[in-house]
Amino acid sequence: MNMRGKVLQHDIPELTAELCERLLRDLEKARRPVIEATKCSLDNAIYDHKVGFLTPGKKKIRTELNVASVKKMSRAIFMLEILLRNIETGAVNTKRELYYISKGEVKHNKHLKPIDFVEQEESDAIIDFICEILECYREELNCYANDRGGQTYSQQLVVTESLSDGGRAVIDLSALGTSPFQPKNRPQNLALSAKKKIDYCLIVESEGTANTLVANGFTKRHNCILVGAQGVPSNAVRGWLKRIQDQLQVPLYFFGDLDAYTMQNIYRTLKAGSAASLIRNSNYSAPEVRFLGVLPEDIARYDLNDYPVRESDAQEYRALKKAKDALENDPFFRDKRNKGLSDILKWLLEHKRRCEQQALFTVNPRDPTMPEKIIVEKIKAGNYV
Amino acid sequence: MSSKIRTKAELKTSSTAEYFAKNLQQVGFSSPTKAVLTTLKEAFDNSIDACEEHGILPSIHIVVERTGKGSTKNTDQVLVRVEDNGPGIPAKELPMVFGEYLASSKFGRGRCTRGQQGIGISAATTWAMQTSAQGVLVKTKTKGQKKAVQCRVEIDLKNNKGIIRDKEELDWNAPHGTIVEFLFDGRVQLNGEAGLQAFLRSNVLVNPHLELHYKLLDEEEVHIERVSDKIPNIPDATSPHPHTMKLGEFLGHAKLFGNISVKEWLLKAFSRVSEQVMQDLVANQAVPKKLFERPVNDLKEDEFKHLFTSIQEAPLMAPSTTSVLAIGEAGLAKSILRLGDIDYFSVVTRRPAICDFKPIQVEVAIARLSSRNGESIPHEEDESVQVIRFANRVPLQFDKASCAIFKAITTVNWKVYGLKQARNSVPSGPYIVAVSVVSPFIKFKNASKETIDASDELVEEIRRALMQAGQRLSRHLRKEHKEALLESKMQHIEQFAPILVDGLVRLTHSDDKRKATAHEGLLKILGRDTQAAEKELMEAEGRLEKHLASKRKTLGAAYDLIMARENDSLEDEALDEDLDLDEEDDDDASPKAKSKGKGKGKGKSKAQKKGQNKKGSIPEDHVIVSDLPAAKGLAKKGKSAPLKVEKAAAQDKPAKGGKAGKAAPVAPIEKAKGKPKAAVKSKDKGKGKGKDKAKKPATGTKAAPATPVKASAATAKSKPAKKSSAKATQAPVKKPAQAVKKEPAKAKAAKKTSKKTKGKK
Repeated sequence: MNMRGKVLQHDIPELTAELCERLLRDLEKARRPVIEATKCSLDNAIYDHKVGFLTPGKKKIRTELNVASVKKMSRAIFMLEILLRNIETGAVNTKRELYYISKGEVKHNKHLKPIDFVEQEESDAIIDFICEILECYREELNCYANDRGGQTYSQQLVVTESLSDGGRAVIDLSALGTSPFQPKNRPQNLALSAKKKIDYCLIVESEGTANTLVANGFTKRHNCILVGAQGVPSNAVRGWLKRIQDQLQVPLYFFGDLDAYTMQNIYRTLKAGSAASLIRNSNYSAPEVRFLGVLPEDIARYDLNDYPVRESDAQEYRALKKAKDALENDPFFRDKRNKGLSDILKWLLEHKRRCEQQALFTVNPRDPTMPEKIIVEKIKAGNYV
Repeated sequence: MSSKIRTKAELKTSSTAEYFAKNLQQVGFSSPTKAVLTTLKEAFDNSIDACEEHGILPSIHIVVERTGKGSTKNTDQVLVRVEDNGPGIPAKELPMVFGEYLASSKFGRGRCTRGQQGIGISAATTWAMQTSAQGVLVKTKTKGQKKAVQCRVEIDLKNNKGIIRDKEELDWNAPHGTIVEFLFDGRVQLNGEAGLQAFLRSNVLVNPHLELHYKLLDEEEVHIERVSDKIPNIPDATSPHPHTMKLGEFLGHAKLFGNISVKEWLLKAFSRVSEQVMQDLVANQAVPKKLFERPVNDLKEDEFKHLFTSIQEAPLMAPSTTSVLAIGEAGLAKSILRLGDIDYFSVVTRRPAICDFKPIQVEVAIARLSSRNGESIPHEEDESVQVIRFANRVPLQFDKASCAIFKAITTVNWKVYGLKQARNSVPSGPYIVAVSVVSPFIKFKNASKETIDASDELVEEIRRALMQAGQRLSRHLRKEHKEALLESKMQHIEQFAPILVDGLVRLTHSDDKRKATAHEGLLKILGRDTQAAEKELMEAEGRLEKHLASKRKTLGAAYDLIMARENDSLEDEALDEDLDLDEEDDDDASPKAKSKGKGKGKGKSKAQKKGQNKKGSIPEDHVIVSDLPAAKGLAKKGKSAPLKVEKAAAQDKPAKGGKAGKAAPVAPIEKAKGKPKAAVKSKDKGKGKGKDKAKKPATGTKAAPATPVKASAATAKSKPAKKSSAKATQAPVKKPAQAVKKEPAKAKAAKKTSKKTKGKK
C-alpha cells in the first residue's frame, strides 16, 4: 500500500478500509499484522534543492501487533471510527473535542472501558499515530487546530474559499480595513487572485510588527501582501504561504530576528518544512521564500542594537547548541545552495550574539516609517539571502 | 548432663568458684529475667550436648513454674525443670558437673559443642544457692543402672568443690536420663526476643532431631515432634592448622609429642603440613633441610620462631573443614517449617574459612513466611525481618546490637536484593533470616556467650554469606515479579483483543464468522498458547532453582571448590546476579559435571540440572551410594529405558532439552531411591565422556550395605523426583541393595509413591 505523496481527503475512507481489511486478514490467518509508517526525523530527511523542501527517506517505523502495542492499536481503530464518521458527515473537531467524544463513547459502552483515555495527551498521540499510518494531515481527518499566526494584509489580494457545503466565499482583503485576513484549517481550499499586480509578499516574524507596518501605511504605499508569522509557523501559515507562492508567483521575503532559533525553527520551516512533518512538507512549505534579514551585515550597515546570547536565554541557548548539529547533520543547511543561510548560522555560532527585528526602530527613533524604508531598500537592492 | 564428664583426667579445676559467685552477671545472671533464661539454657544445652555425644535422639521435657514469691525484691520463686533422655551421669561425677567451675569434658577439645568451658551449669547452681539457699536437685540414671540416683548438689565456694546432699536411690522407669531442677529467684519473660519462647523456638529451628515438650507457666503444654532421625555427627577435632596458631601456642604444642624429629612432629601434630610443604619451606623460606631431622626438643627458641614465621608465609591448604559442624540445609529447611508456612527458602552454606586464626563456618537461611499462626502475611509487611542468631547451634538472644551477626546484617545493602531497608538497620518484610556461626572456638564477647565478637574478619565472612543469600533471594523475587508481569500481560490481551477485532470488523463491514476467526488468530498471536508456554517454562525454572539450592548441600567437597572460586571473585558478586540461568547452574554443578557441561553446551547442562534436581534435599548422610560396577551396569541398561523426567525436561525446553532426553540413562539408578551421587555418576558413565570422567565417579562410591529400603521415595520431594521413582520401578533392572532411612515428614510422599508402584506391578 503505497501512500506516499499527497493524500486527498476523499481517499481517507478508502485507505482506512484497505488498512482495516489487511489487518483483519492477517488476524484471521493468525499472522502478526505490521503497520509501517514513514519515519519522521532528521535522519530520514532528504533535501534536494530542486524539490525545495525536506522529503522522507526510506526509513520506516514498524508497529507490530504484540502485547505491548495491542492497546495502542485498538485505540487507533476506535479513534479511526470516530474520525471516519466525521469525514462522512463533514463534521469537524479539535483534538480536545475528540478527546471528549471518545470519552463519551466509552461512557456509553462499558466494553470499551479499557481503552478510555485518561489524559488528552493520550488521545492526541493516537490521532498523530493515525496520521502517520495513513500518511495524511490531521486536517484531512477533519481534526482542526486553532492555528495562530498568518494575519494577512493586502490591498490587492482576493481570496476565494470553497466551503464544505459546496458554496464559495469571496474575500477582498482591501475591504477589511485594518483587520487582517487569517487563513484557517485547510489553506488548500483557498484560491487566490490579485486585483492588481502584486510585487512581493513580506512575511514578518512578529505579528505585532507586521501590524505596526500596516498601520503605518506599508500596504498602502506598496503593492504587496504582508503576513505576520507569529513565531514558529503553524500549519495554516505554512500552507497559506505555499498557496501564495504557487498561485500568485510572487517573490516571498521573510523578515525576522537574527538568531539561531528564527533561522532553524521559523525560517527553515517556512522554506523547506520540518523533519517532524516530512510527509506533508510538499504542501506546507514555500521553498522560494528568501531571508531578508536581519542579516549579520545589517548590524554594521544600519548600526543596529545587538547583544550577546546569555545562558539565561534558554530557548536561544538551546538553538545555538542545535545549530552546531544542524550544520553537520541537517541536509537543508548542508546543501551548497543554502550556503548563505548556513553562513549566518556559523556567524551566530561564532559571535553568540543576536539582533532582533525591532532593532530597526533604533535607526531613526523619530521616523516611524524607518523600518519600512530599510525593508524596501533591502528588497530593491537584493540585500537578502 | 554427663557430657561434662568423661574421665577424671580430662577435668581441669581451678579455685574460681568464688570469683564467679561474685560476678554472676558476667555469665548471664545479670537480672532476674536473664537468670531464668540462662538457667534454662545451660540445662538445656547440657542435655542436648550429652544426647548428641552419646548418639541418643534427644527428647527433652521442660517445665517452668512460678512457685511463690522470691526472697529478693520484685522477684518470683521460679522452678525450672529439664528432663532429658540422655546417657545419665555417674553418681560420683555429679559434684563436679554441677558444683565445680571450669570442670568440663568439652574444654579446649576443638569440637563444635554448645558448651565449652564448664561454667554455665555451675553458675546456675550458684544462683539458686544464693537466691533460695538450695542447690540443684538432680535425678539421673545411666544405662544399666537399676535405680536412679537423686541428690541435691551444692557448691563449696571456697574450694570450688561440689557437695552432695540428701542422696537417695529411687525407681525410675526410664532406661537412662537426667532430670535437673532449679529453684531460684527470677522473673519469667515468655515473649519477645529475649523470651523463653524465642529461645525454645530457635532451638527447635536448628535441631530437627529434637523432640521437645515444654510447659511454661500457665500456658498450654507444647509438644514438638522431631522431624529428623539423624543425630548430628559432631566431628572430632582435627590437629591444629599452623596458620591458626600464635607463636606461643606453637611452642607449647611442641612439648606435647615427646622427643620426636621436627619432621615427624610437623606431620603428626598439625593438619595440612605435608612432606611437600616442608620441601617448599626449604626451597622458598630458607629453612635448613637438616632442621627437620633434628629432635624437636633440641630446637632453640629462635629456630622455632624462624620455623613458625616460615610456615606462616608458606601457602598451606585451608584448614580442615571436618571439625566444624554445620546445621545443613535439610535440617534448617525442616525446622523452619515448624515456625510457620513459608513460600521461599534458601540456605547459603559458606565454605569453612579462617577468621581470626580459627576455622569457622557460616550458614545463612532466608525464609519468607506466607502465614503465621494460620494467618497469611502480605509480602509487603513492614515489620523488620526476624533475625535468629546461632553460635554452635545455640540461639543468641541478648545484646544483639554488638553482635557480629547483627552488624553484618545491617551493613549489607538489602535494597539491591529487593527488600526494604532503612539505612544501617535490618531489612523489613515477612522474612526470617537465620545466621549460624559454627566453630570449635567461637569468640564470644563475654562468658555468658550472648554475643559473638564483631571482628572485621568475621563480620566480612558473615556479610558474604548474607550477600550470597540475598542474591538468591533477589533472583527469586525477580522471577515472581516476572510472573506477575506475565499475568498482567495476559489480562491486557484479554481486555483489548475484542475491542480491536470488533473495531476492525465494523470498519470493514465483515460478518461474525470473520470476527470469530480473527479473534482466534489474535489470541494465537498474542496470547494464551505462547504465553502459557512461557509461563510454564518459567514455573519450571522456578522449581528448578528451588531444588538447585537444596542440592548445594549434597555437593560436598565439590561445592567447596566452587565457593573457593567465588571467593576469589567476590567483587564480581554483583555480576553474579545477572548471570543467566545456565551460568547459575554452573555454579551449582559439581566440577566434573561442570566441565562436561561446558564441553557439551546447553542441552546437556539442563539434563544435569534435572538429574541433580531429583536429589531434592536429601542430606548426604542419608544416602549410601551404590558401588561402581552396579552403577555401570545400570547406566548401560538405562539407555534403553530413558527416564521420564528427562523427557519432561525436554518438553519444558524443547530446544535445549531434546538432546538430554535421549541420552540420560538415569532411570535405573532412581530405583535406588534418590541416590543423588549414583544418579549423577551413572549419567557420567552413560555419556561416556572419556576415561578420567569415568574414573572420577568411582572414587566417591562406597559399597552399599544390604539394608532394606524402608521408604521408597522417602526423600523425593519434587514432582520430577516422584515421577522418576515411579517410572524407575518399572525399569527392568534389579534393585541394588541400598538404603535410605525413612523420614517421618516425608512418609506421606513415600506412601503415595509406593502405592503407585504397587498398582503398576
